Amino acid sequence: MVATRSRRLGAGIAAALAVTMAAGCGSGSSESGAAQGASTGGTLRAAFAGGSTETLNYLQGPTALDYVRARLVHAPLCELDADAEDGVAYGVVSDIQVSKNLTQYTLTVRDGVKFTDGSALTSKDVLYSLQAPTLLKGLPFTQLVARGFDLDQATTPDGSTVVLPALSPIADGRDLICQSMLAIKAGTTEFTTGTPSSGPFTIGAFEAGRSTTLRRNPDYYGQAPTLDAIELVSIADGTARVNALRQGQVDYISGITPAQAQTLDGVEGATVTTSELPYASYLQFTMNTAAEPFDDERVREAFKLAVDRQKILQNVYYGRAFIGNDVPGLGFAHYDDDLGQRTYDPERARKLLQEAGAEDVQVELTAGPELAGMVETATLIVEDLKAIGVRATLKEVAAGELYADYEAYAALPFRAGYTPPASFEPNWAPGVFPDVDALVATARSATSADERLDASHQAQKLLWERGNQLGVMFVPNISAASDGVSGVRELQFPDLARATVSE
Amino acid sequence: MRLLSWVAVRVAVCAATLTVLSVLVFSATEVLPGDAAGVASGPAATPAERAAVRVSLGLDRPPLERYLDWAQGAAHGDLGTSMTSGTSVTAVVGARAANSLAVVLPAALMILVIAGTAGTWAGLHAGSRADRVISASGLALAAAPDFLIATALLLGFTLWWPVLPAVAIVPIGQSLWQRPELVALPALALALGGCGATLRLLRASVAQTAAEPYAGFARLNGYRGPRYARSIVANAAGPAVQAFSIMLAGLVGGAVVVETLFNVPGLGQELTRAVAARDVPLVQGLSLVLGAVALLVLLAGDVTARLLTAPTRRNGGSR
Repeated sequence: MVATRSRRLGAGIAAALAVTMAAGCGSGSSESGAAQGASTGGTLRAAFAGGSTETLNYLQGPTALDYVRARLVHAPLCELDADAEDGVAYGVVSDIQVSKNLTQYTLTVRDGVKFTDGSALTSKDVLYSLQAPTLLKGLPFTQLVARGFDLDQATTPDGSTVVLPALSPIADGRDLICQSMLAIKAGTTEFTTGTPSSGPFTIGAFEAGRSTTLRRNPDYYGQAPTLDAIELVSIADGTARVNALRQGQVDYISGITPAQAQTLDGVEGATVTTSELPYASYLQFTMNTAAEPFDDERVREAFKLAVDRQKILQNVYYGRAFIGNDVPGLGFAHYDDDLGQRTYDPERARKLLQEAGAEDVQVELTAGPELAGMVETATLIVEDLKAIGVRATLKEVAAGELYADYEAYAALPFRAGYTPPASFEPNWAPGVFPDVDALVATARSATSADERLDASHQAQKLLWERGNQLGVMFVPNISAASDGVSGVRELQFPDLARATVSE
Repeated sequence: MRLLSWVAVRVAVCAATLTVLSVLVFSATEVLPGDAAGVASGPAATPAERAAVRVSLGLDRPPLERYLDWAQGAAHGDLGTSMTSGTSVTAVVGARAANSLAVVLPAALMILVIAGTAGTWAGLHAGSRADRVISASGLALAAAPDFLIATALLLGFTLWWPVLPAVAIVPIGQSLWQRPELVALPALALALGGCGATLRLLRASVAQTAAEPYAGFARLNGYRGPRYARSIVANAAGPAVQAFSIMLAGLVGGAVVVETLFNVPGLGQELTRAVAARDVPLVQGLSLVLGAVALLVLLAGDVTARLLTAPTRRNGGSR
């Protein structure tokens, strides 16, 4: 506990000193603007948090680095892409057709894709890739497809077709299939540096908690990468990652806090980037409707009105976040932009509390350092609540503790949490609001697109009015790169496949 | 011979302490809220998926059974597998211990030289201006938190005068031991953080010894310069060596801040992460090794102190 706190304090002071440095003597940066122009070949050195728990088995990899690496080594079946026609960009799966009654999905496998062992990628490999999370005991976040489809009954009528029966009619099956599924060879049970793969890069060397060397795969079916090689380096601490970038030890860093990003502002030779919507994690504070005082919807509304979101955006995130409107899925296709943005209205909040007879109610908000700014935001919320008369206190738990005992967490009356970027309907957890559950079911299964959108908007409106989530902010991933680096796509996780670096 | 049997008894006590420690650590991790299944599953998992993760990690088995399984393996040198990555705990702990030692050993050497020289000088010249400067510096270093020293070194040697790398990035296939330039800053940070207390203890001990009647007697008998210093230090070193060993034992696992800022993947940093992930086999393995190292260092300190004081005792006996 003490170690954690002093470490955070240490990082804070280091950051503060670095700010002074940047302001006082900008010449401190050892990076000079790299020459523009030549951008073929080269090696990109990219640093992520990583750690000794890193693994090549992306189904069990708990760190972001595991997925970034896997995504470079294994080609995706398809990817979410809000701009594309079907909402997805196709990979080794070249098309997904849905039956009229929304109960059967037919996947077409792209021709000419080869694994590094020379074998062709067929429908059997695609089906195995979809079943692998269940067969190889993947972490829950990889189980999304199994929640919507009956994978045991799936078939491969020929080498380039996979037929997936849905467990119940769903219209958003593409979202499930394309969220994080990568292509692996049928029968793969362990992931080593020699495991056949079909992505843009192959693994040269790997050491958990230290680094991975990736080399360009000359037989990649898609757009050939420009880089010859990528070195993925593990640097656990965000401040250390910033220092490594400033000194030119690495070219790109990911997963830094807004305060750390702030120390890089104005530093010559470095650029800070944040992921664009919809790739922002939803930071929410859940009010347990089964517990007093949150069983009263007036109290819930009062709490939503009492919070000054603009102040959180400026003081916690230095403007590098998106204000939330108490509804999930900002930036995704079904998100209802027409709901008015909740205003900051402490007067009305006070009045609502009076009406509910809860003027000096006592609440404890539980939060932990699970997402950048979570604890700081919670601190400001507690202050805002105190300002309207609520006897609010903050309970800060150590890193890793918040979700460790999920049953206990779910029973807390007022708790901080976050969900990674995901659209609203397929990720909706039913059980609290039956009317919303019914609307979400319609939004996922109605045969007409208009009907689905309408149901989704109605559900979001209900959540906005009576919901139990104080959804104050959508938090993007913050990265920084030295000037010669471009082409990094800031998706749910950074994609380095098309990056370039000028020497 | 008496020394050998004394050491044997101490080693046996160490082994017993380690066994008790392993039980305590295991119970402590049981008492902590939640488990590795909860941390790994995250918030989006369904109850069924959560239960499946728990079963696949073996967390549905009774605690006593899990502990005995682990202890049986540990007795044969197998510390089990990490719950979060499935890798061998022995391998992880070995690699982390090598990293920690690569930084702590040079730091200890620097502390010995800096604190030894400055502490002795200040003690022998107690009350002089040099003593005041050294004592004040020692106090400042002892009071300065690790992160302040580390940040100051980072500013100095990586930004203002960029001659050393800011973080330790060790190429695959190499070890930290082969890259002195990567060790320099973290070792210096640890040394500066650790030498304040040792310096002040040695200074106090030397000053006290120098004030003893026999020191005056030695001076009257013509003991001067290095010969005089040697006789005083030999008598004053006992308590200082013990203080040094306690500080060193703490440094092996307690250098979390320095390890974090300079990206040295050492034991302390790993332990912090393993606790956060509720990775019980890894926490157990790390605690056991840290405990063993601490006990060994303390034992070495005690033996050294005893060897240092033994001649005096013999002299006293023969007189």
